[in-house]
Amino acid sequence: MSRAGSVTRRRFLIAGGSTLAALGLRPALAQRLQINPTEFQPLPIAIPNFVAGSPADGEVGVGVAQVITNNLQRSGLFAPIDQAAFIEKITNIDTAPQFQSWKAINAQALVTGRMTRQSDGRLKAEFRLWDVTSGQQLTGQQYFTSPEYWRRIAHIISDQIYERLTGEKGYFDSRVVFVDESGAKERRIKRLALMDQDGANVRYLTKGSDLVLTPRFSPSTQEITYMEFGQGDPRVYLFNIETGAREIVGNFPGMSFSPRFSPDGQRVIMSLQQGGNSNLFVMDLRSKSTTRLTDTPAIDTSPSYAPDGSRICFESDRGGKPQIYVMPASGGPAQRISFSKDDTNGSYSTPVWSPRGDYIAFTKQGGGQFSIGIMKPDGSGERILTSGFHNEGPTFAPNGRVVMFFRDPGGNGGPSLFTVDISGRNEQKVPTPGFASDPAWSPLLS
Amino acid sequence: MRAIEPVSLSCPSRASEGASQVKVDKTLAASIALHVLVIGWGLVSFSARSLEAPQPEAMPVDIISADQVAKVTAGIRTGEKDKPKPLVEKIAEAQPVDDAVGKITKKEAIVTNAAPDQTPPVEKPVEKKPEPPKPAAKDEPKPIEKKPDPPKVDPIAEALKSEEAKKPTPKPQAKAAPPQPPKPKPERTFDQSKIAALLDKRDPTRQSITGAALNPTASLGTHSGTADAMVSTWKGAFVAAVRRCFSFPYNGQDSDQFEVDIDIQLRRDGTVAAQPVIVAVRGPSKSVADAMAESAKRAVEQCQAYAFLPKEQYDTWKYIPMTFGLKDML
Repeated sequence: MSRAGSVTRRRFLIAGGSTLAALGLRPALAQRLQINPTEFQPLPIAIPNFVAGSPADGEVGVGVAQVITNNLQRSGLFAPIDQAAFIEKITNIDTAPQFQSWKAINAQALVTGRMTRQSDGRLKAEFRLWDVTSGQQLTGQQYFTSPEYWRRIAHIISDQIYERLTGEKGYFDSRVVFVDESGAKERRIKRLALMDQDGANVRYLTKGSDLVLTPRFSPSTQEITYMEFGQGDPRVYLFNIETGAREIVGNFPGMSFSPRFSPDGQRVIMSLQQGGNSNLFVMDLRSKSTTRLTDTPAIDTSPSYAPDGSRICFESDRGGKPQIYVMPASGGPAQRISFSKDDTNGSYSTPVWSPRGDYIAFTKQGGGQFSIGIMKPDGSGERILTSGFHNEGPTFAPNGRVVMFFRDPGGNGGPSLFTVDISGRNEQKVPTPGFASDPAWSPLLS
Repeated sequence: MRAIEPVSLSCPSRASEGASQVKVDKTLAASIALHVLVIGWGLVSFSARSLEAPQPEAMPVDIISADQVAKVTAGIRTGEKDKPKPLVEKIAEAQPVDDAVGKITKKEAIVTNAAPDQTPPVEKPVEKKPEPPKPAAKDEPKPIEKKPDPPKVDPIAEALKSEEAKKPTPKPQAKAAPPQPPKPKPERTFDQSKIAALLDKRDPTRQSITGAALNPTASLGTHSGTADAMVSTWKGAFVAAVRRCFSFPYNGQDSDQFEVDIDIQLRRDGTVAAQPVIVAVRGPSKSVADAMAESAKRAVEQCQAYAFLPKEQYDTWKYIPMTFGLKDML
């Protein structure tokens, strides 16, 4: 009775409140209370081991939880909670967890999941993402796959969690192609290598007899274009990851280098050497027709398409020092966008357009330092993400929120791969078997 | 035969002593009486009334730490820039700048009374006197043979002379000052009938604050301070509590453009009465702004109960509209 009364009273109050709101007459506190955190806090999330559907699936359940934990941790946006702190042990993902025991360890989100080997040999992966405070399920999915692809399943689940909680696309289900370097400094063996974005599943694509540079993914992620020093001049090659087939892109008289796919994957844009200069050309992979885009007595190189394919950013020393220019994809007038404020002698190189289109990443050289930075396509909003003795070759994650590059500390060491998010806040070393350089991030695999 | 009579020694000395005692007692008594009188009078007349210290009213004191003070007095980095208008009660009249000197067109040599003739010797002798040795030096071979002058040109003597030449200079300067006898001022006479003439006929000295434009309200300081966030007000405590739980995972740019309006209703015990209501989301990406709104809702619910909110002011916080933003991040 009293409860009903209170409910109606509350309803009445709410109704009254909304009426007042409609009239613009808030009873108290006309001004909104501003909550503006000054410090970034990663979101605390609990990822218990996935439940084993059958006794044999325990190991893969632990593995999947570890891969997800590692992905979210490395993103810098999440703070996975140590499993030792967990109060509740998840044994069945089909019933709601006891949210109080997850609130008690300050988790805001909880991931539960189960891995089950099917009778047909496939692996079934299920997961649910819970909002601990409201007790609501935010998302839930199940996947079937071959057991050897359990890591990919973990990456896909990581992307789902990332997307649901940040509102942005994930980037974990992706690969990186890079140049693996081994051997003495004078006789470095450089091999093309492929790995998952977290450094797992490394595969070598070339044997290392020839020097390889600047590998780039096609949008389909099935092909790689790169430059190789063969017997004669360096040439641009296409390499099919699945088949291992290799072909030369065009037959040009001089050197061809710094290739990159167009966003539709139908063309390759690259530099062709002409005497002491080089100009930009684009070749249609089907018709093999080549179109000249620039014609200057300067070195134009490192072209990169905007994601919509309408424009190109590239590096040119037509003004004296290497700088970044933007021009229409069909050629035409180019506009310089890089202007160093602090160092008039600063130069910019290796521009790469973000897959989101909002930024261009670059290598900046000046003051005895190599920096990795980003700027908007109109040249504004320049932001240096990292600086040091030698940082070079930025490449964007598929969601445009993270940049990978390589860093050479100098001395007898060799280069290694690093990631940094575009706020510059979270820098992480990428584990590789040996020295590594020239990374290129693939688009999302799925 | 010694008359050994027992003489009763009746202690004559005592008697005499007694007599003398009586005498002493009198003066002593007088002295004591006098002292008593004096002291008594002194006690009465000098004793101040005991100061009745009024019981001080108990004053509530909050002890805040140095960093809290710093926090209170610190400005907000992104705060609105205040341009407080100064209080102006009266439009200022254009007042010509009092130019006491005026424009100097012709520069005249400053003439002093202090024996101008004697000033040149101050420097001239020093410069000129060394000259004599010059011709002497030039004609050195000649004078040595012909005249006995050269020996006279003694550098030490010259130095001494120049020293002497320097000495006299201070004297004339010192003398120069006294010659101006101060004029005897006419003795000031006070004429009562002319009091009115002595009165200051200017406006009252309490001058109006003048300026270019009238502004009747005094500037009350800036409104971008963080005093509002002080924990002694419930708003500050509440903001701090919610902020602690607000962890929105965002690492992109343009974070200042994302904002989420959320309304919440609280019970008297400080718990959230109903699901927080997302009123509006703003930002370049709808999906990010929506995720941020969920994050804000989580923060509000996770950090309850807000038991510290003052019960007697329940009316002021039973309904709280809030705006979450990321503009201060990075």
